[in-house]
Amino acid sequence: MFLSIVIPMIISLVFPFLNWRKKAFATISTILLLIPLAVISWLSVIYGLREPVLDPVFFSNPAIGNFSMLLDSISAPLAISIGLVTSMIAWYSLKYMDHRFEEMKKEDHKPASWGVYYMLYILFSATMIGTVLSNNLIEFYIFLEVALLPSFLLIAFYGYGKRERIALLYLIWAHVGALSFLVGALVLGLNVGTFDYFNPIKIVANLGLGETLPEAIRFAAFMTIVIGLFVKMAVFGVHIWLPYAHAEAPTTVSALLSSNLIGIAGYALIRIAYVLFPADFRAIAPYMLGWALLTIIYGGLMALAQDDFKRFLAYSSVSQMGYILMGVASVSAIGMAGALMHYAAHAIGKALLFATAGVLITQLHGLRSLSKMGGLASKMPITASLALIGFMHITGVPPSLGLWSEILILTGVANFAIEINQFISTTILLLIGIGLSTAYSFIAMKRIFFGKTTESTEHAIEARWTLLIPMIVIAAVGMIFFLMPQFLVDPMISSLNNLLKLPVPG
Amino acid sequence: MIMDYAFFTWLTPYLGAILTLLLNRAGKSRDIIAVLAIFGSAIFSTLVLQEELTANHAIHISYPWISSIGVTFGVYIDSLSAFMALIVAWLSFLIAIYSLKYMEGDSGLTRYWFFFDFFVGNMLLLVLADNLVLMFLGWEGTGLASYALIGHWYTDEDRRCMGDIGRKALGKPMWFSPSHAGLRAMVFTRLGNVGFVAGIGALYYLTGTFSIPGIAQKVVQWAGPLAHNGLLFPFLLLFSLGAFAKSAQFPFHEWLVTAMAGPTSVSALIHAATMVKAGVYFLLRFSPIFVLAAQEIPAARPQVHAFFSTVAIIGGFTAFFMATQALVARELKLILAFSTASQLGYMFLALGSAGLIAEFPLGFLAGLSHLMSHAIFKASLFLVAGAVIHVVRSRFIDDMGGLWKIMKWSFLAMSLAALSLMGMPPFMGFWTKDTIIEVAHESGVFIGYFFGVVTAMLTAFYSTRMVIRTFLYEKSENVLRLEEEHRLHEVHLLMLLPYLTLALLAFIIGLVWPIYGTELLKAMVSNVLGIADKFYPSLEFNLGMLAISLAMMFMGILIAIGLYYTSGGRKWIHTAIKNPTGKVLHDFLYDRWYINSIYYIVIVEGFAWLSRTIFKYFETLMIDGFYHCFIPWLTNKLSILGFKYFETDVIDDTYNDRVVKAFKALGSAVRKIQTGIINQYLLVFFLGLMLILLYLLLWMG
Repeated sequence: MFLSIVIPMIISLVFPFLNWRKKAFATISTILLLIPLAVISWLSVIYGLREPVLDPVFFSNPAIGNFSMLLDSISAPLAISIGLVTSMIAWYSLKYMDHRFEEMKKEDHKPASWGVYYMLYILFSATMIGTVLSNNLIEFYIFLEVALLPSFLLIAFYGYGKRERIALLYLIWAHVGALSFLVGALVLGLNVGTFDYFNPIKIVANLGLGETLPEAIRFAAFMTIVIGLFVKMAVFGVHIWLPYAHAEAPTTVSALLSSNLIGIAGYALIRIAYVLFPADFRAIAPYMLGWALLTIIYGGLMALAQDDFKRFLAYSSVSQMGYILMGVASVSAIGMAGALMHYAAHAIGKALLFATAGVLITQLHGLRSLSKMGGLASKMPITASLALIGFMHITGVPPSLGLWSEILILTGVANFAIEINQFISTTILLLIGIGLSTAYSFIAMKRIFFGKTTESTEHAIEARWTLLIPMIVIAAVGMIFFLMPQFLVDPMISSLNNLLKLPVPG
Repeated sequence: MIMDYAFFTWLTPYLGAILTLLLNRAGKSRDIIAVLAIFGSAIFSTLVLQEELTANHAIHISYPWISSIGVTFGVYIDSLSAFMALIVAWLSFLIAIYSLKYMEGDSGLTRYWFFFDFFVGNMLLLVLADNLVLMFLGWEGTGLASYALIGHWYTDEDRRCMGDIGRKALGKPMWFSPSHAGLRAMVFTRLGNVGFVAGIGALYYLTGTFSIPGIAQKVVQWAGPLAHNGLLFPFLLLFSLGAFAKSAQFPFHEWLVTAMAGPTSVSALIHAATMVKAGVYFLLRFSPIFVLAAQEIPAARPQVHAFFSTVAIIGGFTAFFMATQALVARELKLILAFSTASQLGYMFLALGSAGLIAEFPLGFLAGLSHLMSHAIFKASLFLVAGAVIHVVRSRFIDDMGGLWKIMKWSFLAMSLAALSLMGMPPFMGFWTKDTIIEVAHESGVFIGYFFGVVTAMLTAFYSTRMVIRTFLYEKSENVLRLEEEHRLHEVHLLMLLPYLTLALLAFIIGLVWPIYGTELLKAMVSNVLGIADKFYPSLEFNLGMLAISLAMMFMGILIAIGLYYTSGGRKWIHTAIKNPTGKVLHDFLYDRWYINSIYYIVIVEGFAWLSRTIFKYFETLMIDGFYHCFIPWLTNKLSILGFKYFETDVIDDTYNDRVVKAFKALGSAVRKIQTGIINQYLLVFFLGLMLILLYLLLWMG
């Protein structure tokens, strides 16, 4: 696995020096990104995700621990969806970035070349997979930081609006989150003598490792890690960077940021924060649930107020992160499984929706304002269907993977809410939250695609197949997972059950 | 293996849906395949019912799907689900045949047939599912199909809208475009679904299973703890919230009214005969289990009773409330939509009362048999309405009248079905509706009974009015004009046959009811999950009550005839509507008790206002401002402050120099968020990274 990630990265480094045609870049990049996807899927299938699959340790140090790559039922849905979305969007980039380049030339900007774009793109994509497959805090941190740089440059080079300023803003915020995480990680690792959260030699999670810390610093260390992850995840209060970054990044990058990057923090809450500090995690879980509900409702309200389609999608991501956090906060196997499945469902849904935004931008000369859209379903029926499938994924309407994440998360949350005696209040807040999610999704669908055509949409025509086929592939995978969720869910529930049932030391 | 074909009952329509997509360009043959798929499903459903009746015990087949959480891929067939599947499948088939002609020439036919078949598959899945998750899956699937089909004519031309264009009530528009109506259906029904899923989650937590028979078996396990905490009543309400929303009970009724913007075949199938019955089916499925809970756990009894009383009152109120709106409606389909919600209210009244009386199965059968008869006659009425609207090219009854000579068969069908709707003996509707009123009486919830009786009169009135205004009233200008142009005609046989069959069916079943009725009812209740005791239905009537309800009905009919079939009555109506009190009353009913407007003013605009205000003042000013203006500003000020402080008070120059420079650097660095000089930031970023790595390396060494 390590090689499948590093090889594309190394190859991509020579891209800027090559003088290929853009088509060649797009093809090679897609193929390069299909390599990790293929390796991960292949490993998942032959080992059936019942047991963790580990790379040989490629770095080992008595103080830091061991760096390996860990594919198990918990990291698989993330790794697979990142592989899928990044490779398909790499293909999609060809037509979209073509349009973006022309647009920038018209504005008298000189965008960096195709080679640079694809190099950064591949670096960004591959390091995200690396982050997810890490088993060590330092390894995780390094991958996360390395992912940050290319995404920052992608926004700075190819973004919209005040792109330099927004790229910087994104960089600083992401950095703040990462640093907070690092501080907690360093305090922990230096004190207990290893940074592994999953020991690749004994093949066991270091459950409760953090709780061997001295009482005085334990909770502080835990909280810095959690807060760092919250910033990355953009939950309510520290979400403000997200609408800027996701709205003004080039749409292909927004698709990756929104579908793949931010959700990783939700995964890390389980993989790292829970595993290392199970007791503390349980202690703050009720507050996390409340915060999650707040994020869902707040994100939903903000999404309703937006007119810019991409900003709308960005706020909807904030609200969707609330769902992931809610599943995690339920501290139950079923709810956490729901959170991980929702990562995948949201990745598929948001990738489709940002890709839709990209299609509208290319076909309608940069149109992003919802109020100027309308009646596009008759002009662009395939795009409309794909967008509907995207909205179905984020709202949990069958036949989409989102249905499963909705059922799993809500079941987990119902369990937890009964335990803490808040069943009725939680359900009522959920009613508002899910009501808002449904409303903003289908209102947007109506505003863009239904009704009468407007001045700006009169002459729209359906997009080219190079834009649509990658989207169709993503949508198809979402539907296939809907039919066969058991291959992911079954092993996931059993390994989460193991994590949740193990006796907590101390 | 013998019953595995039960799966085909719902798999066939799914297959049909996929085939219609593949045959996108095949034209007629695509349509025929879609219809054949439903026909296949109807055949399978018949076989399933036959098998079930001979087996005489519930048949449960399941295969593992997501085994870790016990979600199975299975069917549970008892006499309830088998009868329900039969009704759904055959009605879908008849309406599909009708659609062949009705939708001919439409530009979105692939989409239409895809969602049509997709709907039938989901509906049958929801009926036959053996576990809650599968049932919920079908439940949500029908919602999606309903959304897509209501918004079928998504380009929102005026003639596709519902309501009077330009009319406003309390300042809110009272006409709705198809895409708007679809959105409303989606949002309203999904609100209820949240309660449904949360309930499923709670049941899973308490019992560890999603299986529906499992929930019945472990009734003590889940109802016990809930009852002891006083949570059972709110839990039951939340769990049934999906049913209330799906079956358009007050306060969720609004979506069904505007759903009429969809094609009429869709209204007949989804918004009259099948999907809106899903809520009733939900209660039929689970209320025996709730009753079981009350029997097993003494502490649960008052809470279960409270729940059933609530259902009965809401049902009764909805029946009355929607019937009043049907009195003045001007659109043919709208009359039927109000009537549907009102009749669904009757069914809720039946089931709510059932839980309160000693003989639960009596109420259960009242609900189930009325569901069946309503499905038959209301589908017929909708299909006639579609035919009439198609012929006169207008959805308003003002543009109809005097059509009976031209559309004799349609007139016959509508009259038969309408007689069934108002409960005229010996039509089918008579037998089923009267049992409901009796059960309501027995339950002791007086208000429910009262609503039931009054609604009987209202129903007779609006049904008669509808028939007269459509077929017997003096010809409208529109009809006269069309007649002159020779464009009036009876509809095509493919459209006529389905609704004529249904209307005759309602009549014939009613005729033979005294002979076979008890047998049929006995078969229906022969083995229903949760009802263990054998029940022997009888056809006895409480004569006093029969007299009351018949008197009510005849009064309704006579008033309607008096007002609409005599010239004096018509004149009276004209003046009554113009007189101030009459106008206020008329507008109150016509604008749906202003509830739609109130929803828009309070909820829709409330949330819109909230979202705008928070965005403007909290998000932009507070949060964005705090991070991106205040903090940079603060650092800037601090650096200046520091500069002053060190310059004046601190003696050590080198120290001074250094600190000030550091502060300045920090200040200007943060300030550059505004100006955006990247290189320095990159430098800082890399330096930070290097430092950390260096630190680690040193530490290792």
